[in-house]
Amino acid sequence: MDKNFQEEQFTGIIKFTPPLYEQRYQFIKDLVGKYKPKKVADLGCADCTLLWMLKFCSCIEVLAGLDICASVMKEKMHRLSPLPGDYLQPAERSLTVTLHHGSVAHKDPCMLGFDLVTCIELIEHLEQSELKKFPEVVFGFMAPSLVVISTPNSEFNPLLPGVTLFRHPDHKFEWNRGQFQSWALETARRYDYSVEFTGVGHPPTGMENVGFCTQIGVFVRKYPQTSESAQSEKPTEAAYKTVFKAVYPSLKDEKYLQNAVVSEVIFTAQNIKQSLMDCLMSEHKEYNDDPTERKCKFQPSMNCFSEDLGKLVVEKSMEPFVNGNVVYIPLTTIFSFPKVNRLCGTFEKLCKLIAGKVTLSSDGSAVVFYTEHENK
Amino acid sequence: QQTLPSQPPGFQQPQQPCVPPSVSEEPGGRGRQRGTPIDGNYCSSSNFKIIGLQISAGFQELSLADRGGRRRDFHDIGVNTRQAIKHVQESKTGSSGVMIKLTTNYFRLMSRPQWALYQYHVCYSPEMEARRLRSALLFQHEELIGKTHAFDGSILFLPKNLGNKVTEVFSRTRNGEDVKITITLTNELPPTSPTCLQFYNIIFRRLLKMLNLQQIGRNYYNPSDPISIPNHRLMVWLGFTSSILQYEESIMLCTDVSYKVLRSETVLDFMYSLYYQVEEQRFRDACAKELIGLVVLTKYNNRTYRVDDIDWDANPQCTFRKADGSEISYVDYYKRQYNQEITDLNQPVLISQSKRKRGNMMPGPVVLIPELCFLTGLTEKMRNDFNMMKDLSSHTRLPPEQRKCEIGRLIDYIRKDNNVQKELRDWGLSFDSNLLSFSGRVIQGEKILQSGNVFDYNPQFADWSKETRGAPLICAKPLDNWLLIYTRRNYDIANTLLQNLFKVTPSMGIRMNKATMIEVEDRTEAYLRVLQQSITPDTNIAVCVLSSSRKDKYDAIKKYLCTDCPIPSQCVLARTLSKPQTAMAIATKIALQMNCKMGGELWSVEIPLKQVMVVGIDCYHDTLSGKRSIAGFVANLNQTMTRWFSRCVVQGHGQELVDGLKVCLQTALRDWFKWNKYLPSRIIVYRDGVGDGQLHTLVNYEVPQFLDCLKSVGKDYNPRLTVIIVKKRVNTRFFAQSGGALKNPPPGTVVDVEVTRPEWYDFFIVSQAVRNGCVAPTHYNVIYDTSSLKPDHLQRLTYKLCHMYYNWSGVIRVPAPCQYAHKLAFLVGQSIHREPNLLLSDRLYYL
Repeated sequence: MDKNFQEEQFTGIIKFTPPLYEQRYQFIKDLVGKYKPKKVADLGCADCTLLWMLKFCSCIEVLAGLDICASVMKEKMHRLSPLPGDYLQPAERSLTVTLHHGSVAHKDPCMLGFDLVTCIELIEHLEQSELKKFPEVVFGFMAPSLVVISTPNSEFNPLLPGVTLFRHPDHKFEWNRGQFQSWALETARRYDYSVEFTGVGHPPTGMENVGFCTQIGVFVRKYPQTSESAQSEKPTEAAYKTVFKAVYPSLKDEKYLQNAVVSEVIFTAQNIKQSLMDCLMSEHKEYNDDPTERKCKFQPSMNCFSEDLGKLVVEKSMEPFVNGNVVYIPLTTIFSFPKVNRLCGTFEKLCKLIAGKVTLSSDGSAVVFYTEHENK
Repeated sequence: QQTLPSQPPGFQQPQQPCVPPSVSEEPGGRGRQRGTPIDGNYCSSSNFKIIGLQISAGFQELSLADRGGRRRDFHDIGVNTRQAIKHVQESKTGSSGVMIKLTTNYFRLMSRPQWALYQYHVCYSPEMEARRLRSALLFQHEELIGKTHAFDGSILFLPKNLGNKVTEVFSRTRNGEDVKITITLTNELPPTSPTCLQFYNIIFRRLLKMLNLQQIGRNYYNPSDPISIPNHRLMVWLGFTSSILQYEESIMLCTDVSYKVLRSETVLDFMYSLYYQVEEQRFRDACAKELIGLVVLTKYNNRTYRVDDIDWDANPQCTFRKADGSEISYVDYYKRQYNQEITDLNQPVLISQSKRKRGNMMPGPVVLIPELCFLTGLTEKMRNDFNMMKDLSSHTRLPPEQRKCEIGRLIDYIRKDNNVQKELRDWGLSFDSNLLSFSGRVIQGEKILQSGNVFDYNPQFADWSKETRGAPLICAKPLDNWLLIYTRRNYDIANTLLQNLFKVTPSMGIRMNKATMIEVEDRTEAYLRVLQQSITPDTNIAVCVLSSSRKDKYDAIKKYLCTDCPIPSQCVLARTLSKPQTAMAIATKIALQMNCKMGGELWSVEIPLKQVMVVGIDCYHDTLSGKRSIAGFVANLNQTMTRWFSRCVVQGHGQELVDGLKVCLQTALRDWFKWNKYLPSRIIVYRDGVGDGQLHTLVNYEVPQFLDCLKSVGKDYNPRLTVIIVKKRVNTRFFAQSGGALKNPPPGTVVDVEVTRPEWYDFFIVSQAVRNGCVAPTHYNVIYDTSSLKPDHLQRLTYKLCHMYYNWSGVIRVPAPCQYAHKLAFLVGQSIHREPNLLLSDRLYYL
């Protein structure tokens, strides 16, 4: 449960830098970086620290946590909520984070279809009966393409001061490498997975024979995913209780996409208008009042495309113009701005998204502004 | 300043809640340590301190101290100033005026009968250091303690009594070590104890979190359905300010609608757009000007910081030392920690000076990457954008009825959320579903006296510009010898101004000669040269018509004419004068303003109190140049309060403002004596510019210094002193019930019951009128008073003084001397940067 404490008590003889729990999490992060899973579940997620770290990984679209203790999860679960920044600039990817209260000995369809399932320092907390059901639930039922299981290596224990029997009073067992590996190999064989062993927390020099402080098994499913059958074959009813759910704002969601496009279009058009007006103003006056204030050449707000300035081709037909007190900024001009372009993809999409939200000319080809109130 | 106010002065527009950034660890001063909680001492009100009370269960760590360690107490709890003021022991309420039914934005907090909060002290044997371990060990006994609890590592709050005074339980650590935990009942707290108040606030923040509101700074906001203003890439979030405190009769939740202006662009985006707008060599200055002082919000962890500096020599590839001693570059740090890619490696970094000590980390500068910071709030440029502000205020300035609905929404959320209801029920608490209603008083309006004429004004508008137009002034200063300086392009405008002044001044009683008309080139040096050459000892005033609102020109003129060559000056923007339809009204205003600047007097109200000196103090905090503070000090010189002594204090490094204020008070008394041939028998200080949480400092430091200063005047001199803190930024709002609808309470509404604090001698006055939105009352807290004046008299005097600000022919939000002091401090802080010449001190030269 309180993994984070572990090292605080082992001062003196063995001290891991970074702390062992961080090394375990980093191991998962590296794995995520390598395999780029879209859906990740953490079983025994405790205070959600790993989930919190994983929410920053841009490949992940679904994150789920499961724990037997709801109050530990609730303690810090609000860390998993979207931040103001996520609303201010919605991300390209979608992300949903869900926390479930329940046992790994029970099957629940909400755990189906995951790419990676992590069980960090989980199995040693399971009672014999739960441990027996665990492989069927994770490997048989959930059947993700990747499973990571970590557990203490009891051979390391003599190096840890104060550890008499187990590292934590709630541990039901602690395995040596042989025990873990034979359990893992047997499980892998039965459910058609391959497994590789590694670990974190190097032993001190001269003691290499005891192995890593934490032993880790990485299981890879050998058969291809059979998602349709997985869903239909296993109609289990819900066994978990959802305690938290956060849906991150994303451009995949039409509402956020529309907001982003409308904002960007208006902002871009506004900038073009401003440059245009400044330009006209300075042409009209024979002397400039404020010579340093603005560059007056028509530069449609260069900042918007500093990255690929060269790409912009302003054709004659799509140039903005002023007619009386109305400024016309063709949508084609606006669409040529990389940010708008990237958001919409196609010109048709642009037109569709801004329909009714931005004031357009009668033929719908340009954004219009009225300038009468300008000089208040 | 150069333009005429279009809003009553002192009117904050639009509502822009100011939230101080939450200071916390970041690269450059990292460390995860949090302030260690202080044990015990909760209840003594004398050394009452806000404690970083850590809640160990339920939700994210919450504490009264907010995130980021211990902070000052924004509500000034526990400073009892009323007990030392003899004549208000029995009652601090006034009685004059007409009763008015008011509703306010407060809800009563209710607890079960015989409710008590049980406070326990928890100790461990052997001693356990880590707080999280301590709570993990304690909550192995949840069946004993229950699910409802608040624990900070040593103090435990429970809604129930464990039965015994001392309870002993045993827990086992993961090392197999047995630990004895002793839980001792130390207090059974009644609902009104100060500790309970802290506790309510902690619980309330829990509830707001449960409602999925996002904390930004001190307040909570709803991230769904923001108001978007794409023209400026602005997003406005709706939220609530909230605090639970002991008020006059009961414990209440005060909540108001709050708007957080966020911007969907990063500091780096902003720098880029600025880069294309200004000249290369001005770019860094422009960045500093626009960005320093702004609050930014980090992308990755929802913290707010104030930008104090920009380090152009650093970039994201620079390294810093982590808590564990290893060096890491910012790029790598953010990549590893938050998976945030920094794409622009040449950007400078932002520096935020954290002011508070965190745990055992010394406060140090926090380094922020522009690309990873969102801008919040409005820049000066945006504030000056008329259209944008109009846009914004259409969203944020809610009329009373609508505001009441928005406020009610919070209570609705609370009532409808099951989890929230359960949490409240478990603690035995609930909120009243109705806003608090009670009666206030509307005190009598004032008559405006002007040279023998008496004017009444429509109290609804609190404005008498129409009534008094063209009436002779109390004291009109002649314009015998004056300068009118303009550029060639503005010749016509200047000439028209001159003609219009000739038309409007005679009825006011101002004698006017033709001005010395001087044409200049539109350069700062040209203006200065002309001033140097043309000003003679006889010059009454110099009027400059400026063609743009470029600040440097204005600053240079003001600086020269306030320090080196002290004569009154009037700057006018050509644009202001250019509209024919308003030309006469503008000329009238300018004539009045010029008259005040030369020492003239416009109007007065009846002030029955004699031999009284009224002092106004306000501060300006210079964020740009070295963060110096400037205090304006203004005191009346005559009985009718039509002439004022004005001086300011420019705070030197490591110097306290109050030292300078003492000097000001001494000079003010000396000048008073010169004018009146006696010293005032009463001194009433209206002190504005006091931040939340600074009450303690004022009471214990500033007031004694004033008393010291008075003692030094003379052995037999023993005037009565009253010190009143004036606060414009309050969350309290009043709604008047008229017919079925809610309206703003009329000017002159006084409230000294229900929503005031029992330990203070305080009251609210609504003195101004607003055209749209909700009127904000001003809070007056009398922290020292040997005057024996009845509350009624003090309230009425205060209201009268709100009529005496000569730059606005109407009632303003604060007593005139405060507004004068504000004006003065602002001018000095913005333009002059040093103390103006004392030869000007008997005139309102800064209007």
